[in-house]
Formats: sequence, C-alpha cells, structure tokens
Amino acid sequence: MEFFNLNENSILVSWKDELNSSLTRLISSYKTEILSLCKDDIKDCVQSIKSILLIIDLNRTSIDEIVDKIKKIDYEKINNYDKPTKVWEIPVCYDLEFATDINLLSDLNNISVRDIIDAHLSKTYDVLSMGFLPGFMYLGKTDKKLHCERKEKPSLNIRKGSIGLALDQTCIYPRQSPGGWHIIGNSPIEFFNLNSKYPCFSRPGDKIQFVEISKSQYKSSSNRLDKPKLIEL
Amino acid sequence: MIKFISKGLYTTIQDDGRFGYRNIGVPSSGYMDRESAQIANLIIDNPINNPVIEATLIGPTIKFEKSTFICITGSDFNPMLNESRISLYTPVEVKKGDILKINNSSVGSRCYISIKGDIKVDKVLGSKSYYSQISNSSVIEKGDEFKFEANDMKPIFKSIDQKFKLNNNIKVFRGPEFNCLDKESINKLKNEEFSIGINNRMAYNLKEKVKAGVSSIISSGVIPGTVQLTPSGQIIILHRDCQTTGGYPRILQLAEKSLNNLSQLRTGHKIKFQIVNL
Repeated sequence: MEFFNLNENSILVSWKDELNSSLTRLISSYKTEILSLCKDDIKDCVQSIKSILLIIDLNRTSIDEIVDKIKKIDYEKINNYDKPTKVWEIPVCYDLEFATDINLLSDLNNISVRDIIDAHLSKTYDVLSMGFLPGFMYLGKTDKKLHCERKEKPSLNIRKGSIGLALDQTCIYPRQSPGGWHIIGNSPIEFFNLNSKYPCFSRPGDKIQFVEISKSQYKSSSNRLDKPKLIEL
Repeated sequence: MIKFISKGLYTTIQDDGRFGYRNIGVPSSGYMDRESAQIANLIIDNPINNPVIEATLIGPTIKFEKSTFICITGSDFNPMLNESRISLYTPVEVKKGDILKINNSSVGSRCYISIKGDIKVDKVLGSKSYYSQISNSSVIEKGDEFKFEANDMKPIFKSIDQKFKLNNNIKVFRGPEFNCLDKESINKLKNEEFSIGINNRMAYNLKEKVKAGVSSIISSGVIPGTVQLTPSGQIIILHRDCQTTGGYPRILQLAEKSLNNLSQLRTGHKIKFQIVNL
C-alpha cells in the first residue's frame, strides 16, 4: 500500500498487486473501514481499480492524521470473509436491435455471436470502479476471448442501458452518451435514479451477474425495474 | 424575484460544489474561481458557500422584482445598473424594477454575482450547482426566474481590500505519474510557456504538446486540477466539472489557488508552470 499526497487536501492510496477479485475485495474492505473510521472527515472517497482517492475536510482533520489512521488498520481483522458480497442480477437483451457492435466484435475476435454472449454470461464480475459518467460501471475481468481495444471511432449516441466491451472489462452506460466501447446488448434496468437518496444501487466492490432475456421480456414492464434482483453471497 | 432578460454566453448557478458522490461518478462542480465567488458572498454578509450567479465572457441582463443588495467580483465585465457603471468588490443596493446589465469581460473570463439572501434553486445531491447530467438545468436561459429570500435589514457589510488580477503563473505539485516523464519533457514543462486552447468548466486543453511517449495507466481517481498527458502528447488540465476517474498519466496537480487563477484565463492566454513542493 502506498500513499501519495495529490494536493492540499487529497491523498491517493494505491496498491501494486495484480488485478484480481481478491485485490478488489481488499480495496473495498479498506474503503469501508476508512469511511467508518473517518466518517465526516472525508468529503469524497473514490474507489478505482487499484486505488482509493480521498478528499479530506481540512476544517476537521489533516492528511497526516488520516494517513496514520489508515496505516493502523489491521487488514486481517477487517477482511471478514464471512461478510456477504452483494451480487446484482442484471437482465440483458443481446438482440441485434441493441447489440450494435456484436457482429463487428465477432469478426475482430473470430468468435461467433453466440460464443460472445455465452462468454459474457459465464462470469460474475466485480464492480471495479465507477466514473466517466454518473453511474457508469467498470466491470471485470472478462473472458480472454472477449478482450478488445476500444473502437477506433467512438459512437456519438450510445443508448441508455447499453452493455459494452473494451480491454479486459465490460461496462454499463447508465444513460445516453458518446462512447468507444463495443456494444453487445442492453438492460432495461434504471441504473441512475436522481430521485433516490442513493442514486445507484451498486457500489465498487459489489458484483454483477448478467442474465439473458429475450426481446419480448425486455419490452415487458416487469423487467423495467428501478433496482435489480439482489443475491447475497 | 429576479428575471433573466438575456442569458449571456454561459451563465450558471454555482455553490461550493457537490460532495460525497464522486464514488458513483458524479463530478464536484461548484464555483470555477472559488476565491472570487466566496468574496462576493462575504462582502454582503452571506454564508461563504451560498449559491451565486457565474457569468462567462458575455454576461446576462437581470431584472430585479424585489429590492436587495448584490456584490459583483472576479473579472470586470463593465457591469451597469440602470445604465450607470457600478463597482466591483463592493455592496450595491438594487431597487425593485432595476436592471443589471453585466456586459462583456474585458480582462478575465468569469464574474460572480452574489445576492443578499438565498437564491431559490433545487438542491440535487446536496448542491445547487448546475451540471448538465445532474441538475434540472445545465445553463440559465432567457426568461428564467429565481426567487430569493427577502431580507429587509441592511446587512453589515465587510470591507475586503481585493483587486482582481490575472495570474498566469500556475503553481503545480508533482502528480502520481510525474516519474513517467523524461528529462526533456520535464524541462519543457518547467521552462516554456503554454497557451490555452479549447476550454470549458470540465477541462482546459493546452495547445503545445509534450511528446513524452507515455502510455495509458490503469484507470484511477482524478480531481479538479489534475494535469493529464495523453499518449499523443496533449496536455489536459481538469477543472471543476471533470470526471471522477481517468486513464491518462497524471503528471502534475494544480494548487487550489492556481485552479482559481486558471479559470480566469481564456483561449490564447499563456501560462507558465511553477513546480512547487507540497
């Protein structure tokens, strides 16, 4: 674990370990512990793939004080393996009406459309980070067969709810936006709801399991949920 | 109530910003030039982080339907109240029916108009700051009306001896990926001037490139003032509406005061980085 003072009131805590589920779990455990130890002293806490960025309220504390508190955290104690992880079940329709780049990816990676879908469904993904747009989720890692660069030419209008692939990750576009990921499907879930006190149901450290739905299921109202099904593991 | 007779180029309501939601990708937003905005509040005895009107390059024209006090700070836009020039950094009494014409900026980019009492704007995720993805409006439009809380008592004004000055000396700390720069690039960043290209509330692009041949990093947290270097050598200085994570090396980080200074510069202005220790 390394500390880097970014500016007068922000610190970056980062890890050099290789990215895998246990690193994501470790960072999530640290984040939860830091937030419970420091509460209102932290104005913002951004968990990403290998780091946590903390913005500190200098009216209440100092960077040194926060770093001291973090250094004293006993990881063995906070990493409670019995603690359930939230797994959100996200319905996805892979119909070509939505999967605008699935044929392109099929050609690029020399893999059938069905195999892309099966490979995408084969894993439970970690929510590695959120950013780019309010509620945009970076999920990883994907099956090697799905690894790809971002599209050479980004799309200007990616549909709300789109599921994308780039590098070794998959993502969810919570609203219409430009973007460079290969779009392979769409989910009817509301991923960012400003009327809620917690606009996003999911947080970095949670997990996502995609389940395939048909076009008719997509159009039926029962799938248009504010919040997807939650399984705790 | 106040009513916007014209909207100006890019006029918004801003307060100190939106905190606690960067973890789900929501930018901080808030005053671009925090210092000027806060002084506008202090002078008329408002709470320091009250929402104010932020005007950019071309200001709006505002009709007051109720008497109050206002204060204008930041760059001099040559503001007129009923066609008489008014001073900056001083409380100004406005009467019902008065028309405030902000005009165009002569030197800097942004000015702030504080109004005695609280401007009624919906709070979204704890802040009244406009941001297109979050707040109900992204920019003030012609005809927009805002109520503000009446306060008949004459406030106790604070006298703050402050003059607006452009400052192109940008103080920076070394960023987390500063070490990915070669000696030549560091020298260029230290010794040469850079000119401001396309800019908005989200980021300031610089025209000159630094060909350090850096590669992308694993996406990690960024904040307003983070200086990113793209693989093609483009320098991007993130500002108040910036995204929360990014995949470009973070070579430098602006000091808070320099972030305020930068927000007053405009396309074509030159800046010079001064690397300082944190």
